[in-house]
This record gives sequence, C-alpha cells and structure tokens, in this order.
Amino acid sequence: MLERYIQDICTDDAGTEALAETRERLKGRFAPGATRRMTQLGMVVGAALAKLEPVATDTLVYASTFAESRSLESYLDSFPAASPTLFQTSIHPSGAQQGLIGRQRSLGEVFSHSGVDQMPAQSLLTAMLAPAARVLLCGGEERGDWLVNYYSAQDRTFSYALALTREPGPAPLGRLALVPSEGAGTMKQSEWFDLLHQRRALDGPIGLGWRLQLNWS
Amino acid sequence: MAGSVASGTVYLKACDCLTPFGHSAETLAALLRGERALQPRPVLGREGGDAVPLALLPDRALDETAPPSWLEPVRTLLAPVNAAGWGTARRPVFVTSSNFGAGSLYAYRRSGDAAHMKYGALVNCVAWLSKQLGWQENVAIFSHACVSAHLGLLQASRMVQAGLADEALVFSFDFLSPFVSGGFNALKILNADFPAPYQARATGSIGLGDGAGYAVISRDKGDFSIAAQSMYNEMHHFTANQPDGAGFEACLAPLAEQMAGRRIWLKGHGTGTLDAGRMESGAFAKVFPGAPLVGWKGSLGHTLGSCGLVELAIATAAVRHGRTPGTIGSGAPTFTAEVALESFANENYDGVICASNAFGGAHAALLLSHA
Repeated sequence: MLERYIQDICTDDAGTEALAETRERLKGRFAPGATRRMTQLGMVVGAALAKLEPVATDTLVYASTFAESRSLESYLDSFPAASPTLFQTSIHPSGAQQGLIGRQRSLGEVFSHSGVDQMPAQSLLTAMLAPAARVLLCGGEERGDWLVNYYSAQDRTFSYALALTREPGPAPLGRLALVPSEGAGTMKQSEWFDLLHQRRALDGPIGLGWRLQLNWS
Repeated sequence: MAGSVASGTVYLKACDCLTPFGHSAETLAALLRGERALQPRPVLGREGGDAVPLALLPDRALDETAPPSWLEPVRTLLAPVNAAGWGTARRPVFVTSSNFGAGSLYAYRRSGDAAHMKYGALVNCVAWLSKQLGWQENVAIFSHACVSAHLGLLQASRMVQAGLADEALVFSFDFLSPFVSGGFNALKILNADFPAPYQARATGSIGLGDGAGYAVISRDKGDFSIAAQSMYNEMHHFTANQPDGAGFEACLAPLAEQMAGRRIWLKGHGTGTLDAGRMESGAFAKVFPGAPLVGWKGSLGHTLGSCGLVELAIATAAVRHGRTPGTIGSGAPTFTAEVALESFANENYDGVICASNAFGGAHAALLLSHA
C-alpha cells in the first residue's frame, strides 16, 4: 500500500511579496546575514524545511517546476560578465540546498524533481518508495519577472514541507495514499500547494494511473 | 555517518551514449586510442572570450539554434529503444539533466528571438522533447547538478523493483552553450588549461563536453546488472566537499560491504579540479585499496548532469570489450598510486563502481557487473 502519514507540515503563501519583504519577514529563521545571499525560493523553502528539523537519516524529496527563476533571469542578464554567484544559485536544487547548507544538515538521499502536471504524483511516488523511516517532501516556487510571460516562471511565491512516516504514530496530522487508477489525471504544483495550505481533503485523480487520497485528522 | 543504499538488483536491458566521438562503442575505441575530444574554443561562442576546452558534437556550434541543434543526434541515439509506448503508466520515462534548454534561454536573451523560448525553460524543453520523441505524459524530471542521472537511475530502479513499472527508460542530456561555459569560466575552474584528472599539479581546471545517454531498466532482462546504488549529501558548501572525504566515504561504504572479497575497478568523477580530485581519489583508495581508478573527463570533458549515464554506457562497453580506458589527459604524479593512467584488461574483475559528485557535496555511486 502506497500510503504515508503526515506528522508535520509547514506552508508559506508569500503570494506577490517582494524579495526584500520576504527577507525581512524570514531573516530571523536563518543565521545572521545569511539571507543576504539567499534567493526568495531558498528562503521560503528553507524556512519551511527548518521547521521539520531535518536529520541525517531523512530522505529529502524536493519539487519545483521553475526553481530559481529570479536568479536565472539575473544570471542571463549578467552576460557577457557572467555572475558566478547567480550561476551557482540558478542550479537546481539550490532552493532546498541554501537553508540546509547554512545549517550544515547532511542527508542520505536527496531527490530533486521538476515537472508540470505530473510532478505532485511523481514526487509523492518518490517519497513513498524511499526506504527511509521519515521522508521530508518539500517544494515551492518563486515569482518570476519576464520569464512569467513565456510560462517559464511562476507568478506567485509559495512553499510547503511535509514530514511523512510509514506508521501513523500517536497523533498524525493526516494521511496520504496513492491508489492505482485506470484514468488520467493532472495536478499542477500551485494546485498541490493550495490543497496543502488550505488543509483540504481529496479523493481524486492526481496523475497518469494514480488517484490521491488525502485526509486530515 | 553512512550513505543511503538501495539494494536489489535491476538489469540494463539497453544502455548507450552520445559523445563527440559517437555512441558508446565509438567513444570507447577513441578513449582506448587515447584521443581527446576537448578543443580550445571561445567561451562565449560567437561573442568570443577566452579559449577554453570544450568538446562539442561534430558540426554543432556552442550558440544554440531554433529548434536546438541537438535534437537529431538525440533522435538517432534513442532510435533503437524509442518504440511506441514510453511515457505510459507502466513504461515511465525519467529525464535528467542539469542544462535542459539553458542554451535556448541564453540565445533568446542575447538575440531577442522569441522562437528560442519554446525550448528554453526546463519544463518547456522536456515537454517539447517528449512530443518530438512520441512519449506520453508519464515523464518524470530530475535535476541535481552532476548527480542528476543517478537520481533517474535510482528512482527508475525502485519503480521497476516495486512492480509499478514493466520497464523504465532513463534518458539524460546536457548540451553546452555560453550559459554553462560562461558560468564555469566565471567560477574560474574552466580556464585555458586542459583537465588532468587526479594529477597533482599547480592549478586545476576542467573541460566541458556535450553528452547524452540512456538506459532501459528491467527487472529481469539484460546482460548487465546494477546490484546496489548509494547516495550521500553533505550539504557542506555550495561548491566544495568536506575536505577530509568523509562525505564521499559515506557514499562508498555501503557498496564496499557488498563488494567485499571481490575484484573491482573504479570509474570516478575526475573533473580535473585539485581539491575534489584529491578528496575523491583519497576516499577511493581508503575504501577500495588497490582498486584501479580511472576518469574520462580529460578527454570527453564534463558532461554535467548526464555524466553518470554517459560514463555508465562507456563502462558497459569497456566490460564487453574486455579493456578499460585509462585516465586520458592526466600524468604523474597522481594523488594516489591507484590512478590508472593507461588502459588495462578488465576480464578478471567482478564489477565496476561508477561514481559522480556534484555541487553541494552530493555524492552518488552504483555497482555495475555482468549479469
């Protein structure tokens, strides 16, 4: 049975918040001065993930459709004098690594997904097939600028992080199950985030051949 | 501290790659002859800049075209396995890369030609490629710098082992552009020098190469097996590993347990940077003392997120052929005595460890052997 129990969850709907506003809002969650070099996605994902207190035996599954859009835009505009810092931060999975490197949190497996309509189902499959006792499933997007016009960046900023276990434990917050299905299904990252952020239940198609059952305690 | 190991054998029903020399058989032959694909080229393509070692497919320019110039070589590479049916619920595709269509993004931003944007962003590039290759929608994407291909191989293996897929296609592609060569040049590790992997010299340097590869993962068919895969993520520093090698040793340790008492050779990452080369070869010598270590990026350049799959295909060709290419471009003195500068016969070995390392202190390794 492909099912996991939600032991902890953190979501952040930053919407159209500017980078400076996010930095001001979240700077207390990171080491002094650290946010000066972090991307908006790095801050919102890093803060959500930190709440789950990652440990070395966790597996991390990270999902982002567009990743570091603003770094990518700025890096492209830095030519012909390419910026080494923007080059580094534009590389997937920088959004998840920034906070973890800041805290020196080593991990065994880290899976870094991208995708569109099938990504929530695929990242859940990755989380459910991982042998680790606890899997941290996180993701997010940051609001882009000119890349938004080409469906190459998100138009809003958000993040989520879930701690998933095989056993329910004494007080699970919810349950996730993937059930084989004959039908097709799609779900975008923003729809997946809204479901989690609003703690809505679902029993419906999520990807090709899969139905998601999401219940909250 | 121990890496996470995935045990349980899967088989390579098919595996091949594309480099500037050709597919895996042609690439192996060129490596055994000691040939180097890297050539000095302007780092920013038609906009010039320093001459740096790049290995491009024949007749392919660093500046991207619309549609991308790499499509037809990719189509030819995949032709033997790209029969109808990939991307269905039971036959998933795992696409891995660190570049995707970054060259098209760069081309758009420098030229203003919006035609490039159809292939630019990561997800748009894969959607377009999937359509070109006739894949349906079950196409998963992994991107984790230079260990990207290993993620695809591991998750494909788990899907097959769990009975959730009949077979899985893992495809990885990374084609160079000023976007990536300019970035590595800005980091000052891509410079005028040719890479000399694992050689103790005054300054380190890398080369970059075009590359693509694929593997069809099966539960029970194929003449090569992957018996174990391991990962470890240090989260130590964005561009540096733990200098004592502890992170990479943690990745290798579970594989060493599985290989106890058996003879292996090692296909390392070996980009040509000094600190990483010293760390990597030292960890290998500690965990697998006496096992010969080779790296091929001194000839092919670094094929980035695809190197794990490109070099896996070359390793399978080397085992089939009975001879392993040496560490081309390197020379004495090497960091450890185990670095093999010359080619050697491999018939008496039981398997190969294929390893890759990435930004952020990400390490991945797998154990390849004859089925």
